[in-house]
Parts: sequence; structure tokens; C-alpha cells
Amino acid sequence: MSIDLILNGLQQGLILAIIACGIMIPFRFLDFADLTADGAYPLGGAVGAMVMLSGMSPVAAIPLAMICAGIMGVCTALIHLKLRVNSMLAGIIISAMAYSVNLRIMGKPNIALFNCSGLLGQDICVNMLLIVMILFCCLIPFAVFLRTDFGLRFRAVGLNPHLAKLQGISIKKYTIFGLFLAGALFGLAGSLMVQIQNYMDVGMRIGILIHGLASLMVGEAIIGNATLNRQLAAPLLGALVYQQIQGMALSFGLAPSDLKFFTGTIVLLVIAMKKNTDRNSFFYKTATFKK
Amino acid sequence: MLHIKNVTKSFSGIFEPVLKDVNLSVGEGEFCTIIGANGSGKSTLLKIISGEYYADSGEIRRNGEVSQVVQDVNKGTVPAMTMLENIALSRMKTPRLVFYRRHINDAIDKVRSLNIGLEKFIDQPLGILSGGQRQAVATLMAMNSGKTSLLLDAHTSALDPKMQKMLMEYTAQSVRELQLTTLMITHNMEDALKYGNRLIMMHCGRMVVDVKGHEKSGLKLSSLLEMFHKFEDQSLEGKGEKNVN
Repeated sequence: MSIDLILNGLQQGLILAIIACGIMIPFRFLDFADLTADGAYPLGGAVGAMVMLSGMSPVAAIPLAMICAGIMGVCTALIHLKLRVNSMLAGIIISAMAYSVNLRIMGKPNIALFNCSGLLGQDICVNMLLIVMILFCCLIPFAVFLRTDFGLRFRAVGLNPHLAKLQGISIKKYTIFGLFLAGALFGLAGSLMVQIQNYMDVGMRIGILIHGLASLMVGEAIIGNATLNRQLAAPLLGALVYQQIQGMALSFGLAPSDLKFFTGTIVLLVIAMKKNTDRNSFFYKTATFKK
Repeated sequence: MLHIKNVTKSFSGIFEPVLKDVNLSVGEGEFCTIIGANGSGKSTLLKIISGEYYADSGEIRRNGEVSQVVQDVNKGTVPAMTMLENIALSRMKTPRLVFYRRHINDAIDKVRSLNIGLEKFIDQPLGILSGGQRQAVATLMAMNSGKTSLLLDAHTSALDPKMQKMLMEYTAQSVRELQLTTLMITHNMEDALKYGNRLIMMHCGRMVVDVKGHEKSGLKLSSLLEMFHKFEDQSLEGKGEKNVN
């Protein structure tokens, strides 16, 4: 593997880390299996691309993409809360609908942005530094939030909803808030990816969810999630390692089309491993999805 | 203060109502113990008061919010959170965007008052404690919530005798200090007599015994047991109504 390949892998890994964080928030803190990523990530890309195409600053593209994708997360939450649809089904429905919305936003299936100057340029190291900075700007406030009264209540919603209700905590509000955060992170990842590629395709990495989930689980398998800090670091570390594993698999001659099978295998392996080592971790829920 | 007027409750699939036309008025600061056979409607009554169940008919009025401790330890605590986090969670009427760690000294003082040496686990996940220790923390959390009424549904019944006694003493003392309006279900007749200033016996969805003050303190265990068996034997002989579980 050349240095370039590793650096490229790291850059992709950082984007994936943002997604893995977005997956972690509902999965681990709200016990809400959220599958919105598959729709919100390309939505972020589409909104980001159109904002840049309209001549606005690439810096403005990022928050706009985050808000739009965050609203999509809120839609998933509302479908689950108001219509009592299973959280996963709600995510699948929203993601399917998002495909059409994304096409409407873009007007055509793919857009090239070679004439627009993005925030992220050709220098991969500068890019990585920027992404890391943006990532920490999101994660550090969240880590602080989790240690406040509101953060404590947020965590209680996922860990013991029965008790949370008795304590007068509004499960609806916290679920909506959590899914907005998750959606915003997917949007952030999508808009950054478009700026790296200078290109937006409506089918942009469909199945990103499974990659993000695999990253989260690989990270948790490595450092566990017994404490808050470990839980928050797991998606970062996991995404970087997972991206390198994927790169290695490719360089060993696996076809790119084999990657999804490969990823699924990793997820299942980690779950199987966890089953045996899980007993000491209280923060972790044994099953990935809601029982 | 708590008023229940003509409350009836039935569940689908069960012919007999679980509560039949129950009337109960509990004054402020009153500590009322409730006994009765399984299926007599005790828990249903408490769940209607707490708002978990809706009554089919009747009227429920209560002042202020209620806190509760139930038999199931896992319901009253968050095992994955540390003891401090659990206690901080219980005391949060108006959450603020400030670190919850500010509650640490207060929480340690409260845990120390349990007198079973749990304060050294303040930063450990509650899940590492035994069921009895966790139930003690759950009770502490209910006391700590700042609510004026307290519902206890056999909260000591899963514990060993020593822990039962300790937790009952703690409960009685806190109820006295905080002047909580309390309803406590118990299967322990001695506890029912020893604690509180009022005793209610339920049978087949009705309140069949209701004694207060001197009348209660004069009540003997033997006569209470006699009353209990009188009602239960009735239903066994088939004269009374069928027991619903």
C-alpha cells in the first residue's frame, strides 16, 4: 500500500467517523435503531452541492446541509413517535422517500462541481486537518452536554425509558433532539464528501449506514464502551481502522462490489465476539437493535 | 392529600373487575399500609393513583406529584449509570445546562444516611451492586425526588430479612422526616402493623378493613391474621368472589 492510499483511506475514514458518530447517538444513547443515514447522507451532499452551484460560499453549504439532513432525522423520529411505526421501518421509509427528494433538489442524477472552489482542496493533509477540526467542534460540545443535567436525562431516555417517564422526562423531545443531531452529522458528512469529490451522485454510497455501523462496532470491539469517553471515541477509532481494513481487503484483490458482503461479515463477527465479552460492560446493550 | 371516589377498573379478558367501587381518602402526611392476597387489587390501585392505569369510572384527585418504588429493582434505577448519575437524575425538577457532578457532596451525604456503606460506590455503575443495595438506592431516589406523595409496591419483598429490616427502617424514618403521604403495599403482616398510622386490607377488589390511629396500634398480629384468613377462606369455599390474578 502506498502512502497516498493510506492517506486517502484516512480521509475517507474521517468522513466515515462523522457518520459513525451520527449512528452512535440514537443507537447507543436513545436505544433507537435509526436507519436514516442512507437518505440523510446523500441529502446533505445534494443540498451542499446545490448551494455551492448557486455561487454561495462552500462554508455556508455545510450548515445548510446539516439543517436539512437534521430535519430529515426529525421526520424519522416523528413517524416513530406519532404513528408508532417501528424505528427501523421509519428510517427505511424516510430513506426511500429521500431518494426522490434528492433527485428533485439536484434536477439530474449527478452534478460536477469542478468549477466551484470547495472548502476542501487538493491538499489531503489540510483537508484532514479541517475535517478533524470540524469533527471535534461537534463532538466536544456533545461530550460536555452529556455531562450536564440535560445530558443525563438524554441518556436516561435510552437506558430506562420507564424510569425516565416517571421522572417527568419528555421522551419525545429528547428523541427528536437526538435524531436531529444524528441527521445533522449525516448531512455534514455528505456535504464534506461532495466538497472532497467535487462531484455529487444521487446514488452516493447507498448503504453508507452499514459502513458506519461496522465502524462503530469495530471501535467498540477495540476500546469498548464502558465509559462515556470510550463510547465517544469508539466511532472515531473504529472508522479509521475499518477504512484501513477495507483498503487492505481491496489491495488483497477483493472487488469493490464484494465490499458490502465483507462489511456485513465484519459486523456479524463483531456481534458474535461481543456476545462473549459483553458481560462486564453495563453501558452496552447486548443486542444492536431494539428487542 | 389523595382522594379516590367510586373507582372501578377491569381488564379485558377478565370478567370480574379488579377494583370495585373503591373509595379512599388519605390525608397529608398519612402513612398507610395495604395488605391483601395476591390479586386483591392492591397494585392496580397504586397504578391508578400513579397514573400508569386509567380507571374505568370514578374520580381520582391528588395534590402534587407521586414518586414510587416497585418490587422490580430494574424499574426504579438505571443500572448502566453510576450511583451519582442515578441520584442526580432523581433530584432534577428543573434541569439546567450545568454539570450534574455538582450534586456529588449532597449525593454522598444521602447515601451515607442509608448506613450500609454504599458511598464508596458513588462513581460505580449501579449494576455492580446487589439487588438489595440497588433497591435501597431506588428508595433513596424516590425520597430524593422532592415529590409529596410516595407509593411503595412491596419494595422490600425481594430482599433478605436483614436488608428488609434496614430498608423498612430507612423508609419509615424518611417518610416521617419528609412528611410524605404514603401508601405502602406489603406482604409482611408485622410490617403492616409496625409501620404507618393506618392499615387497609383489600379483598377481591374491595377495601374490607380500614383502621387508623389507636385502633391500629391496638391491633394484634393474631387478630390481623385471623381477619386475613377469614376473607381468604370465604373465597376458597366458593361463597365469595373468584380470586383474579
